[in-house]
Amino acid sequence: MLLNRKQSGKRWHLRPDGAPKVTGQLQYLTDMTLPDMIHGRVLRSEYPYARILSIDTSEAEALEGVYAVLTSKDVLGLNRFGIATPDQPVFCEDIVRYVGDAIAAVAADSPERAALALDAIRVVYEELTPLNSTDAALAPDAPELHKHGPGNVLHRTEIKRGDAEQAFATCDHIVTETYFTPRQMHAYMETEGGLFVPDEEGRLNVYAATQHGYKDRMQLARIIGCPEEDIRVVSSPIGGSFGGKDELNVQPYGALLALRCGRPVKMHNSRKESVRAGLKRHPMKIEMQTGMSREGIIQAHRVRITADTGAYATLGAPVLNFCTEHCLGPYAIPNVDVEGVSVYTNNGLSGEFRGFGGNQAIFAMEGQMDRLAEIMNMDPWEFRRRNMREKNDPGPLNQRILVTDGLSQVWEALDRSELWQKHQSPPADPALPPWIKRGVGAAIAMHGAGLGYGIPDPAGGRLSLNNEGKIEVAFSYEEFGQGLIATLEIMLCDLFQCSTSDLSIIIGDTDRVPHSGSSTASRSTTMAWMALQRLQTPFRSHVLTVASALSGVPADELVTGPGGVWRKGQLPAETSEVESESGFVVSYAELATQGEADEWIFDTKFDYPTTPDNVVGGHYLYTYAAVAAEVEVNTLTGETKLLDTRHVVAAGPVINPMGYIGQIEGGSVMALGFTLTEDAVMQDSRYVTTNLDTYLIPTIQDIHTNLEVEAIEDLPEGDAFGPRGIGEIGSVALAPAITAAIHQATGIWVNRLPVPREQLVRPLNVPLQEGVSPS
Amino acid sequence: MSKPLENHWTAVVNGEEKHLEIAQTTRLVDVLRTHLQLTGTKVSCEVGRCGACMVLMDGEPVNSCLVMAYQCAGSDIMTIEGLHGDEKGTLHPIQQAFVEEGGFQCGYCTPGMVISTKALLDAHPEPSQEQIETGLCGNLCRCTGYGGIIRAVRKAGERCVVKETSAEETVS
Repeated sequence: MLLNRKQSGKRWHLRPDGAPKVTGQLQYLTDMTLPDMIHGRVLRSEYPYARILSIDTSEAEALEGVYAVLTSKDVLGLNRFGIATPDQPVFCEDIVRYVGDAIAAVAADSPERAALALDAIRVVYEELTPLNSTDAALAPDAPELHKHGPGNVLHRTEIKRGDAEQAFATCDHIVTETYFTPRQMHAYMETEGGLFVPDEEGRLNVYAATQHGYKDRMQLARIIGCPEEDIRVVSSPIGGSFGGKDELNVQPYGALLALRCGRPVKMHNSRKESVRAGLKRHPMKIEMQTGMSREGIIQAHRVRITADTGAYATLGAPVLNFCTEHCLGPYAIPNVDVEGVSVYTNNGLSGEFRGFGGNQAIFAMEGQMDRLAEIMNMDPWEFRRRNMREKNDPGPLNQRILVTDGLSQVWEALDRSELWQKHQSPPADPALPPWIKRGVGAAIAMHGAGLGYGIPDPAGGRLSLNNEGKIEVAFSYEEFGQGLIATLEIMLCDLFQCSTSDLSIIIGDTDRVPHSGSSTASRSTTMAWMALQRLQTPFRSHVLTVASALSGVPADELVTGPGGVWRKGQLPAETSEVESESGFVVSYAELATQGEADEWIFDTKFDYPTTPDNVVGGHYLYTYAAVAAEVEVNTLTGETKLLDTRHVVAAGPVINPMGYIGQIEGGSVMALGFTLTEDAVMQDSRYVTTNLDTYLIPTIQDIHTNLEVEAIEDLPEGDAFGPRGIGEIGSVALAPAITAAIHQATGIWVNRLPVPREQLVRPLNVPLQEGVSPS
Repeated sequence: MSKPLENHWTAVVNGEEKHLEIAQTTRLVDVLRTHLQLTGTKVSCEVGRCGACMVLMDGEPVNSCLVMAYQCAGSDIMTIEGLHGDEKGTLHPIQQAFVEEGGFQCGYCTPGMVISTKALLDAHPEPSQEQIETGLCGNLCRCTGYGGIIRAVRKAGERCVVKETSAEETVS
């Protein structure tokens, strides 16, 4: 179904957080203030790599209006954090490893005074030569950035199947190419920050953005050295994240300063500090060699992935796992030889980012497919079909995966599309000047959801009738813009035929929600759906039993509806006139007064579905996508303009059409930036692009206004997992579609992102001159 | 002892006259967010690129991170808190259109985006695609991909035009 407002009809659901957002009334956590609050700031490293010889804070401490100056010796518990591998120091003790490394933090009565205090801290360094590339870090004589070695390798991955070496020897054609992808920045509009408030009961209240409040709480408790229950983390609403706020950022400093000072501390990173300290997408070098038979059947695939993970582990290892899994694409390849390595350097901090390593892998793999198809002189889409995995084939890691038709469905839908049809007969517009070239390209992807085999991936939730008579759900997910609250409203109204005013939705507060996992890996919608499937029957049954006891109407003649319980078959058509209708039996408010409050609370706990096979990181549920793109290349300036795009996505039922379109459109434009303009450039391990005036994300003038989203909603009958995540799938396959289109337009194979404009510039057709070599 | 005169700042903010004792080098974004607690105006890049802090100054859109107190003293400033429908507490047609068309996600760019749309539609009640692109190219959004925003601006434009036309008809 072509997804738009018209097609969506009544399912076009207005977001409950809409009015507060468009009026500016919504208080983000960085907007919060308290009368007696003070301001926190962090002193970060002057060098990407250096030894700290001494830190003198006495001058800063003596300044008027300065309440605290903290260094590593003031950390009460563990001086480290990191979701998977806690190796990032809260405050560096002896070595700094990147320009965002924290050395000290101050709290003062104004932001200006806090800045003065930072200036007054004297740090003496011994500057060291930074490892500014993975090559430098892997050199045999390179210093080890971390003690756990060997060398500067964070993580290695491997997939070996068949005998690739022997298979290559028998291949008729082999394509060898090396692909490079940029250090992309999340560029969420709200930079990191929040308010940290110690209360009279000795608890610490943390109001700061994260994608996983419970994980923050656990890490903060470890840093502070206190029980987790002594901390409350309130973590929504969030002004964008895209993976960038999943790791702790300002929280350790705000928390420690607030506890030391015994007063509320406000933190809010400037954009420049956010760029310097924050996560980026892993830049990767992916070498690929792919061989096929005379008939165009891929026989062998060799891949070497090198990921620059920067100074600390963060989620570098799982990102590499994901990239490794996805660099085989949705293809059946008998002989496979893949090795990946994630390397510590002094180049900032790489971590999780929408797509989670899939974007890099799919760009490379789909690039290979286009190059192979050209050798075959074959339609690249047909070439893909010929090599695609069959429905019942195992997943990329040879693991069992849930069988759906998604892959062939997205392939067929794109094949039929008008946009892809243009590829067959490239549009020749005589009105265009000769230096403007047009082309169409396409790419396909399967993208895993969930954290993958071997990583704890708990889910759950709570459904209750609260004492105000509202149907209340509580999840530990977060709203960072994706529209989760609207999606939950839709699901609940569908399940109970109630109205939105009957609902209370609680997320983003560890004091009020059960531990039900994180909002990451395109999985919140699936997990919430699965939780509600488990909770709805016991909840409804209790509601109807009590309603029956109150009214004398048999429970099996009752249903839930707007405002309360109704006689079956007598639900009002519209939800406005509730209790005046004759079929109304009892209100939720009245029901809630019956029995003990606990009787109205239903909990569930389960794990996100994983493959039964023992392959670390292997996924079970996949979302499928095909993307076509038409571009216009100006060969005088090297500028590429995306004209038209179609995304076909197979992710099961569309619960929230507005949210779905928004996620695919947003992901697509983020991928456009990844492809054409975005790169956090570093020179000698220092950022050159320090703000949004030089780090260029797409503006409204840069986008493809002809973006169409087609949703394929089919799932096998009786599918137990419901809607699949779509948070990432819009962002993973556009880059190779664009570069394929550029190739059709210009004949140039691009292997580096963002697309180097100079590579697309062609000299004017001037006659050859002696001594001048045409490029 | 009276306070030094040079720290006296006055302006009309959302229709109300405001007087503050602040350094004249205070940025307007801080005047609004810190001194007047109008946190609808957001702070993001602080170099005038992203438009999250956009406000109207004498009817013109400005990045409030680039305007110092002395530059806006005596002017008429409208922030997102000053925009509403016919009655206070109701949504302006632009705001309504943003809600209906999904013209926001995280919402952090939205106040600035809505203010720029107001300026755009004031100047071009029936904007062309090019005028929309020019009018909003100073506002970055990282969530929506701008699709919902463009649909919202178009719808708001239609509504504002319809409204103005009917108002004229009533007058005549």
